[in-house]
Amino acid sequence: MFEYTVLAGIMYGLYFGLVGIGLNLIFGVMRMINLAHGDFIMLGAFLAYWLFHLFGINPLFVIAISCVVFLFLGIAFYYIFVPRLLKSKDPEMLSFILFFGLSQVIEAIIILSFGNNQRSIPSNTFGHSTFSIFGNRFPISWLIVTIVAIVVFIAVYWYFYHTKLGYATRAIMASRDESLVSGINVNRVSAFAFGIGLILASIAGIFSFFMMGAAYPSMGTNLTVISFAIIVLGSLGNPMGTIIGGLIYGLAIMFMQTYLSSWSNLLPYLLLIAVMLFKPEGLIGKTVRSA
Amino acid sequence: MFKIRFLFFSSLMFILIFSATSTFGKNIPSVIKIGTLYASTGPFAKASESQFKGLKFWVHNVNSKGGVFVKAFKKKIPIKLIAYNDQSSTATAAAMYNQLITQDHANILVADFGSVLTSVAVPLAKEHRRLLFDVTGTGAKFFTPDNPYVVLTSLPTSGRWPYTLADFIIKHKINKIAIIYSSNDFDQSQAITLHNKLRKAGINIVYYNAVPSSTSNYAVLLHSIKAKNPNAVIEFGYPNNDIAFLQNLGSSGLKFNMVFTVFPGQLFKLLKSNVGEQGLAYTYTYPTPPLLRYNKVNLGVGIDEFEHAFKAYSGQSPNFLNVAGYNVGLIIKKTLETANRYNQLSFRKAISKFSGKVFTLNGLFMVNKKGAQIGEMLPIAQFVMKNSKLKMNIVYPEKMQTANAVYPAP
Repeated sequence: MFEYTVLAGIMYGLYFGLVGIGLNLIFGVMRMINLAHGDFIMLGAFLAYWLFHLFGINPLFVIAISCVVFLFLGIAFYYIFVPRLLKSKDPEMLSFILFFGLSQVIEAIIILSFGNNQRSIPSNTFGHSTFSIFGNRFPISWLIVTIVAIVVFIAVYWYFYHTKLGYATRAIMASRDESLVSGINVNRVSAFAFGIGLILASIAGIFSFFMMGAAYPSMGTNLTVISFAIIVLGSLGNPMGTIIGGLIYGLAIMFMQTYLSSWSNLLPYLLLIAVMLFKPEGLIGKTVRSA
Repeated sequence: MFKIRFLFFSSLMFILIFSATSTFGKNIPSVIKIGTLYASTGPFAKASESQFKGLKFWVHNVNSKGGVFVKAFKKKIPIKLIAYNDQSSTATAAAMYNQLITQDHANILVADFGSVLTSVAVPLAKEHRRLLFDVTGTGAKFFTPDNPYVVLTSLPTSGRWPYTLADFIIKHKINKIAIIYSSNDFDQSQAITLHNKLRKAGINIVYYNAVPSSTSNYAVLLHSIKAKNPNAVIEFGYPNNDIAFLQNLGSSGLKFNMVFTVFPGQLFKLLKSNVGEQGLAYTYTYPTPPLLRYNKVNLGVGIDEFEHAFKAYSGQSPNFLNVAGYNVGLIIKKTLETANRYNQLSFRKAISKFSGKVFTLNGLFMVNKKGAQIGEMLPIAQFVMKNSKLKMNIVYPEKMQTANAVYPAP
């Protein structure tokens, strides 16, 4: 069981790295916690659900559609809300209220539109078979989700370190004011980064059915809390640190489920408290937290 | 002499006038206020809204006939339903129940769905001496000898649910049982009952563990269970737990001779749409109305008539929780028709009076001295595939049996 638990924890953790990475990217660029992050994951799940059930579109192909939809949504949201927020006296505090409100609105719209029912994509969408690692059998959907998560992490890394927009994004993450002075179009880059953050959330949502059972309108709040714990564990403001946070979360949950199942939800948050007390910049982070 | 007569008649007139005004002017309410909660968001939203919709349907029916007959006033009085949204939060629910009692002065208090949201209502109702009509909060701890202010209307107290399941396992000599349950009153009391009954019968329980109610991934748990090599896996959870459990089981490639979950028998459509027919095939559950068809009733309408009327009212086929919400209305109606006085303890006495004599679309209504439901009995059903279609058979007890259990599952 130990071997199985480790492998399951790694796969589950990589998925939760994907769940949290969008939140960390948005925080890194704008120094704001997107409290509606979990709701964008839920929107991704509902998009995948409807495209699958209405048109039979495989969740893997929904990724492409979600890239377009959520990039547009992200840019629109950014220009509608963020510049105004940044002009206020206390943008960080106001952003909490704004994104909390946005979260409630998204949830209410989905409930009014589709009702409260739990919804799922069949677990055998990627086939009935299982795959084996060192003799341990896992659902094929877990392999697909793990591959998608790794591809996404590579893409995010490539974006940061091999594209002009990525350089600009990192510059803004280091100092928004200095980036502005050095001629970077901060709003345009931030809007794009916000869009990418939402795309990442939506991709996590598309595959949520295979890792977290059914999707439902109120799932977002809990996911935002988990995502926040993960990014603090890794490093607040450092998107790549989210992978470490996700892995710790996944392994902690799986080990607790195996050996002390009734307390399984507790350990990740105990770890979070420990990190806040002894290494508040996160396990691999520099001292970047300012909000 | 004249003075004495004058005093006598004056006193008589005073008594008559006083009693007339107190009966007709002061004490008869213009409406019966029923206070309840529902959750439009959160993990209990689907179940809670279904239950609430059933209650609203009953109120609509009663009011369209001029209200409910109240024996204490010997007249029909319309119902006013006061409902607040607790968003599946116990903290919000506690505040809202308090508001219903202290601010709205609801005459009748009806609990929200399930043990979690009912748990905060029980002590409040007791403190304010208000009878709580508990619809589906079946946690065994709610019912104590010192609390006359709670009555469970729609399901047996959860500690009794696994009685037939335990008998089924014992009768079929299924040894090596795994029990996994969500850590809440509802599931824990079922797990404890089953555990104790099976242990007493000498059956080996190889796995017995709780998981948080928010658990959404059972992959590792299923492998931990498989490592113990059980013949039957019993999962006690809420709908989200059952969905995740059955999905993970379906995709894991693991096979067990017998798998039991709670909610396919209550929210069949929801579970079928989430885990598919293959995911439910050969699993066992507790069937409830409308899967169980009670048409010979002496209170309200039978399940066929209800199904038809509810569909016309809401445009949807009813599920169990719609039935439960409607059923609590029937019990309230019977209580008001029976109680000689219009106060909370008289309501409770009235319920004891008709307990065991009332059969509704939900089955026999019978409560014990603690207010726990003991009339309804939950049989055991198994879903089987017949001609590539999912079919439900009642497999236990024998007097209700429609087919033999397919054991071990193919």
